[in-house]
Amino acid sequence: MAVYTSRIDRRTALKWLSAAAATTLAAPKMVRAATYVKTPQGYGTDPDMLNPTSPWDRIMTDRQLQTTAAMTDVILPEEAPYPSPSQIGVPDFINEWVSSPYEQTKDDKKTILAGLDWIDGEAKTRFGHGYADCAESEQTGLMATIAETDNAQHDFFTRFRKLTLGGYYTTPAGFKDIGYIGNVPLERYPGPTDEMKATLDARLQAIGI
Amino acid sequence: MRVREEKGSIVKQSTPYDVVIVGSGAGGGMSAYVLAKKGLKVLMLEAGRDYKPEDETPMFNTNDEAPLRGVSTPDKPFGYYDATVDGGWTVPGEPYTNAPGKEEFLWWRPRMLGGRTNHWGRISLRFGEYDFKPYSRDGLGVDWPITYDELAPWYDKTEALVGVTGGGEYHGAGLENTPDSPDGILHETPNRRLHEIMMARGFESMGIPVAPMRAAIIQKPMNGRQACFYATSCGRGCSIKAMFQTTTVLIPPALETGNLDVITDAMVYTVDMGKDDKASGVTYIDRKTGEHKTVKARAVVLAASAAESARVLLNSGNGRYTDGLANSSGTVGKYLMDTVGAASGGHIPMLEGMPSRNDDGMSNAHIYVPWWGYQKQARNELPFPRGYHIEVGGGQRMPGMGIAGLADHSDVAFGAGLREQMRRNYGADIYLAGRGEMIPNDDCYAELDPEVKDRFGIPVLRFHWKWADHEINQATHMRQTFHELIDRLGGTVSWGKGTDGREAIAKGGEIIHEVGCARMGDDPQTSVVNKWGQSWDVKNLYVFDGAVLPSNPDKNPTLTILSLAMRNATHLAEEARKGNI
Repeated sequence: MAVYTSRIDRRTALKWLSAAAATTLAAPKMVRAATYVKTPQGYGTDPDMLNPTSPWDRIMTDRQLQTTAAMTDVILPEEAPYPSPSQIGVPDFINEWVSSPYEQTKDDKKTILAGLDWIDGEAKTRFGHGYADCAESEQTGLMATIAETDNAQHDFFTRFRKLTLGGYYTTPAGFKDIGYIGNVPLERYPGPTDEMKATLDARLQAIGI
Repeated sequence: MRVREEKGSIVKQSTPYDVVIVGSGAGGGMSAYVLAKKGLKVLMLEAGRDYKPEDETPMFNTNDEAPLRGVSTPDKPFGYYDATVDGGWTVPGEPYTNAPGKEEFLWWRPRMLGGRTNHWGRISLRFGEYDFKPYSRDGLGVDWPITYDELAPWYDKTEALVGVTGGGEYHGAGLENTPDSPDGILHETPNRRLHEIMMARGFESMGIPVAPMRAAIIQKPMNGRQACFYATSCGRGCSIKAMFQTTTVLIPPALETGNLDVITDAMVYTVDMGKDDKASGVTYIDRKTGEHKTVKARAVVLAASAAESARVLLNSGNGRYTDGLANSSGTVGKYLMDTVGAASGGHIPMLEGMPSRNDDGMSNAHIYVPWWGYQKQARNELPFPRGYHIEVGGGQRMPGMGIAGLADHSDVAFGAGLREQMRRNYGADIYLAGRGEMIPNDDCYAELDPEVKDRFGIPVLRFHWKWADHEINQATHMRQTFHELIDRLGGTVSWGKGTDGREAIAKGGEIIHEVGCARMGDDPQTSVVNKWGQSWDVKNLYVFDGAVLPSNPDKNPTLTILSLAMRNATHLAEEARKGNI
């Protein structure tokens, strides 16, 4: 497949490649005291909401980013007119997520970075080249293996899929695909059409309500 | 900000202030509005920064523009776009503590002009006649020193000023202890969403009536505010001013009178006393410079939020009042309450594959379920004495990261066919949340922590918390009701599955309806303020926030805080006119 090109500018990319920040959080000193603990490199408690930035360094290697791009597109292949995840920058989002300094992404970071290395290595063992360079059938076959619930990499699969789907459907392109038609100002709120209400009514009556 | 910059420790006043108000949220905002309109010279002190919704609200921004798709983080606990500034469950440099061995209490605080009205839930239900006399009805808690009829005209005026939706086709059901508003006050409720029509049918099949949601969102233009245009979540704030925030609805007109000054970043920590046993003003710390500054006024109004107002009183010992100020009853900080909360979610196959529709609506649900069990409780048929209402949700709302959960209902794990499954299941999930009355008890209170101080050196609050069986049994009943509804609709419960109330119940403070700590009453021995919010001990000291509530009915407190503040500030203005303060 085509090499994935990050959608951020070169200067920002260079900044991310610079020294990785120490992200160890200081443990709260007092037991049972609700104390704010500043997250290093977090966006803080009063960020500019109209010009959002995620200020932390990105930690994926290019190889991991390429594997990410290939995997996102196996999970949600392009289906015209709907683009694939890599066409709208979802791999950058996953990199942003696993690089985040916040506590709640810590487990994802660990599992996903290890999983990306695993699947890339497994592809090399099985097919002689990395995951991103595999044929479509090879990529799909390997994905099917970890999609099995009893596979050791299944947790990696579910976490990665969560980020792919979340990253995709939160974009305007994702809205179009899934059918979200809100976020537009209306003079009157229409509610569902008569036809939808009739369908619902029939379904309710069918179960005796 | 809007007041002249002052040098030195005493804020110079060209004219003496009649009233200094601590806080700018529901209680403080309404007090400032009423008093400034009545011609009193008012100073409002807000601990947080200045905030202008017109300039700062991220209207229409999508989650992909925000860091981490807008999910909650310790910096922004309700998500990136939530309006809260410098706050949440913790505030930088301003800790609070929980007493060892007790249940955890969580305290939500912002640091911004307008306080929590900038992101509140907007649900505006009137308390009913039973709610003012709960002790008389079931022997628990205490009665209020006022009746529903005494507050009703103030509810009318408050609703007319604030702008409340809840009228239209389904209004006026006349349900027990669920007062309607007089004709012409409420704005028309928007059409019900598809899943709301379904849920209403489901509840009605259980014999449970459904009512139009009453929310502080306007449906027609008023006072320079635009009507709701049914897009972009209210929790971000509202730059068109359709939802009620004191920063758009009450503080600007109060400033226009020329009678109000506002100082932000002013962390009040003590009420100062004169030699005549009257309050002389307050002292605050300028959060930017660390300077201590004193302001003088003829009367002091505390509206810093229930627990923070109590904290100021407890920190106002001045050596003469060893247990804090206005505390001869010993009840400052006592009878802290929150709302009982429990929730469940379900997946409803009959909503699968429905065509796309715009489910944004007015942010809030357009329906709610008032408590339906008063008669059963009167007959002792339920294992809990007080009621709860149900809030509902669902539909095809703007996707956030939670959208990935739809894949749980897909039989395609990945690849071709997954998109179709996502489309099919989008909008087929619902959720239900119970909001119930907690009865005040001796185990729930706030006091000063003997050790811990905040970054300004002010002693912090230490909370004590313990849910009683009344509340735990109620949470059990909530879950059972939700499960029954989901089952009736042919769905499956996807989260909130347990029916052990102890496990289901939200933590104290988590519903962010903390009230009490300086309750009103008829008896100076058992209450902090009288029915006008006036301290029994210090005649020119008033409390105009949720601290004065003697009970906490299921019907979310803000509308009542606003109505009491309007009534009591009007009384204060009248007393000032008579020369009584």
